[in-house]
Amino acid sequence: MFKSLWENVIRRSGDDVFENIRGNFLFKNLSTKELHFVTDIVHIRDFKKDEIIFHQKDAGSGMYIISKGRVAITVYDQNTSSDAANEKEALITELVSGDFFGEIALVQQNGIRSATARATEQTRLIGFFKPNLIEIIERRPSAGVKILLKLSEVLGRRLVETTDMVSDLTDQLNALKKSC
Amino acid sequence: MNSAIQIARERLIKTITVILIVTICVVLLLKVNNMLVSFIMAFIINYLFSPLAATIERTGVKRGLAVSLIYSFFGSIFVCLVIMLLPAISHQFSSIKYEFPGYIEGATHLTANFEKDLNAFVPGMITFDLSKTAETAMKSFSMRIFEGLPGLFSVLLQTMILAPLFAFFMMLDGQRAIKNLLAIVPNNLFESALNLQYQINLQIGGFVRARLLEAAIVGAVVWACLLAIHFPYALFFAIFAGITNLIPYIGPVIGAIPAILLAVIKGFPGLEIVYVAGAFGVAQLIDTIFIVPMVVARIVDLHAVIVIIVVIIGAQLAGIPGMIISIPVASILKLTAISVYQHLIYRHA
Repeated sequence: MFKSLWENVIRRSGDDVFENIRGNFLFKNLSTKELHFVTDIVHIRDFKKDEIIFHQKDAGSGMYIISKGRVAITVYDQNTSSDAANEKEALITELVSGDFFGEIALVQQNGIRSATARATEQTRLIGFFKPNLIEIIERRPSAGVKILLKLSEVLGRRLVETTDMVSDLTDQLNALKKSC
Repeated sequence: MNSAIQIARERLIKTITVILIVTICVVLLLKVNNMLVSFIMAFIINYLFSPLAATIERTGVKRGLAVSLIYSFFGSIFVCLVIMLLPAISHQFSSIKYEFPGYIEGATHLTANFEKDLNAFVPGMITFDLSKTAETAMKSFSMRIFEGLPGLFSVLLQTMILAPLFAFFMMLDGQRAIKNLLAIVPNNLFESALNLQYQINLQIGGFVRARLLEAAIVGAVVWACLLAIHFPYALFFAIFAGITNLIPYIGPVIGAIPAILLAVIKGFPGLEIVYVAGAFGVAQLIDTIFIVPMVVARIVDLHAVIVIIVVIIGAQLAGIPGMIISIPVASILKLTAISVYQHLIYRHA
């Protein structure tokens, strides 16, 4: 009980955190020295099974990398009923160790979470937030630029994927209209 | 369901622990002698030099070495300044102490004249000896000041040792200490707590740097103007004006009073008294027209009426130090209220 309760406090940033950060796409181009700097400033959070990491519409300020465990990303499905009490959660995806989520909040002025994240088993996350990114930009600008470039790449890729998806959905909608 | 209860229980325990730790720290700061002043001074040093430490770090130097370099450089400058200015300050101080009875006599004479004029204008208006009462009050006040000086000097010496020491570790390990405290915060409050800490740090850092810059400029302008008119104790009055300028609204007036009083007591001609008042006026003009709009106002977004109210509350609770720290404290409370409100609104949206 004591160990699980205070794991965030008594645990040292071990090699697993360093390895997780090194393996992450955003920190791919960083040198070992820069990776150690990032490892020192990130936050490690432990979540129990079924514990909510953040709710849809919560204010958000950063991203999480899954060090171990699984996370379900869901959104409220309002199609079935207009009554808020009857809202159901629709599963978007389930993420596993090595995946990351919430990165859009890093570049938003007042980031609002667009989905709910829930731990589906005992999960350890590495939190990387806007204050951390700013600290890196201020103290290690070259590392900051590398991270920002990779972050732009991720966001660009997400934008292309979303545009493709909207385009597919528009086509499907048009086809549906024609058939009716 | 069991899992939900366990999560709720853990969150409660962690929340209570964080509140306990913060409360113990606040009680220690308030109860241990000289600790609060030393910590506030340490925070000021930390906020003043942290941007410089980050600039040095950008060149590839490690944090520890960057902080040590800053300490060596500014420590040397401080020691040189003390060595250079101490004779002037101690000379001005002993001169004030030597001439003080004369000033009291001058003030008593001034009060006696005023009393005579008033009695001639409205006979029997003052039924007690005004000049005698004023003289006794001034003598006991000056005695208190000079008697209290050794105690004040000891507090100052302790603060001058403790504050830089605390500031050194704040600059070196402050972020790690905050990270460790945040690690205890329960998961549901973590992001809000992290953001709040960041916003407070940003705003108070900017505020401290802006106010110190403002005080330094006001002090320097007053010094230059008083030197230009060959007014005695120019350095002493400039330092006093710089420090009192930290008090919003009434600070500049408090800063000007001793010099103008000295000019009146010493029997300076009317025009010279105007010059002395003008020296403080010029400093305030520069402050109001250039420094406040460009530096201070952009940092703390509080309405003028709110500022006046919090300064009055600060004065009631802790006197002059309360007036100086009232605005940053109000700004922290405002940020906290906004953060709690947003947390509740978004969570229940």
